[in-house]
Amino acid sequence: MKQKRGLQISFAWLFAIIVGAIILFLAIYTSIQIIETEETALDAQTAKEISILLNPLETGFETGTSNSVIVPTETRIYNRCSNEGFFGRQIIKVSQQNFGEWTETDIDIGFENKYIFSGNFEEGKKFFLFSKPFEFPFKVADLIYLTSSEKKYCFIEPPESISDEISNLNQENLILENCLINSIRVCFNSGNNCDVEVSYNGKYLDKNNERMYFYSDSLMYAAVFSDKEVYECQLERIMQKAEQLSKLYVDKSNLIAGEGCSTNLIQDLNEISSLEGSFSDSVDLDGYMINLAENIESKNKVINCRLW
Amino acid sequence: MKQKKAQMKIQQMAFMLLAVTLFFVFVGLFIFMIAYSGLKDSASTLEEKNALLLVTKLANSPEFSCGGSFGNEKTNCIDADKVMALKTNSNKYSNFWGVDSIEIRKIYPVAYGVRVECTLTNYPQCDIIKILDNGISSEFSNFVSLCRKENIEGKVHDKCEIAKITVSYGGDNE
Repeated sequence: MKQKRGLQISFAWLFAIIVGAIILFLAIYTSIQIIETEETALDAQTAKEISILLNPLETGFETGTSNSVIVPTETRIYNRCSNEGFFGRQIIKVSQQNFGEWTETDIDIGFENKYIFSGNFEEGKKFFLFSKPFEFPFKVADLIYLTSSEKKYCFIEPPESISDEISNLNQENLILENCLINSIRVCFNSGNNCDVEVSYNGKYLDKNNERMYFYSDSLMYAAVFSDKEVYECQLERIMQKAEQLSKLYVDKSNLIAGEGCSTNLIQDLNEISSLEGSFSDSVDLDGYMINLAENIESKNKVINCRLW
Repeated sequence: MKQKKAQMKIQQMAFMLLAVTLFFVFVGLFIFMIAYSGLKDSASTLEEKNALLLVTKLANSPEFSCGGSFGNEKTNCIDADKVMALKTNSNKYSNFWGVDSIEIRKIYPVAYGVRVECTLTNYPQCDIIKILDNGISSEFSNFVSLCRKENIEGKVHDKCEIAKITVSYGGDNE
């Protein structure tokens, strides 16, 4: 009898332990899944919000003004870019630190109409943003520069225009004098311990033993703040957009010709459009292409019916 | 008797455990539903925010803006000739701005009693330029000046009219 009672108790306990363990396992598993989903959703939401907050920077009104985005936790903003389609895609991915570990998300937030220049990823709680228009020869896009407050850029002996612009921006991670020890040194007249060497007249700069070519100040800033991979990809996207805009101006030129507004720019616009279409690297930004763009600009300035 | 009592106890415990499991399942479903509806809400809020900010900047974007074509650079000025050229290439721009519809509607003066949609054949004797047209659910609009070149008695003039640019989103979701 005693033995039977013992068996009865142990069966009840065994049953309770097995089912209890299953319940606990399911509860823990579900909680983990919910937390992971929430983290992914939060990352995706933050990425989308950052992208949408960039809209005012593209109006051209915000040029020369620095804005900041502050996030509650340590965040990494990954800058990805693709050249597929007519305009390519700006992709933003956000990862946030949770209990000392970076969340992993596969959700990419993409936009066709934004051009963000930064490192492969920027890390911190505070991010600075400013924008500048890129004209080639007409306005193509507003370029957005994203930097983390943790990265300090020290500009050494920049030309007066750059120096004035930086001091007007009043962005706390862009320094003109008294470089900090850990700051990224951007030299304009080849100094010592330079992380970035800018040849302002040669229109190129060297960074991490790699050369990036630029045209105008807006692309110079882009090259300073970006990794080569991001810079080249975004520049190709900008040229993709410039190609479509050149075609748009050719169509506009044909349309207004019917109103007695003839322009002599169609041939030049077709030529620059085909150069922009075959653009694959900043090396392609050569003297011929730049001269063609400048020539188109000077022709447009003197005609009666200006195209832009 | 004792065996029956023990069996009852096991059954009681089994039912109790089943009830506890069901309780956790329902709580889990409830949390998931709340989280999912919140996610949907925040997605539509973000879409709305995008459309709202977009409408304020669109008139000044390179595809729409007058630039220096009509004298000095103007803000909130749309080049109608350029937009008509854009309309013919609108398939390329279908995902460019991340909205479903973009429409420019002339407000004053209205050419005819009836609103006429612009095509290359009737332009500029028309009132509405539809650049993207993928259904409308919620929309935001902004007042702009709509300028074009016009030939009057052999002379080319700049003609600007008052118009409204409307951006809509979420048409496909409805």
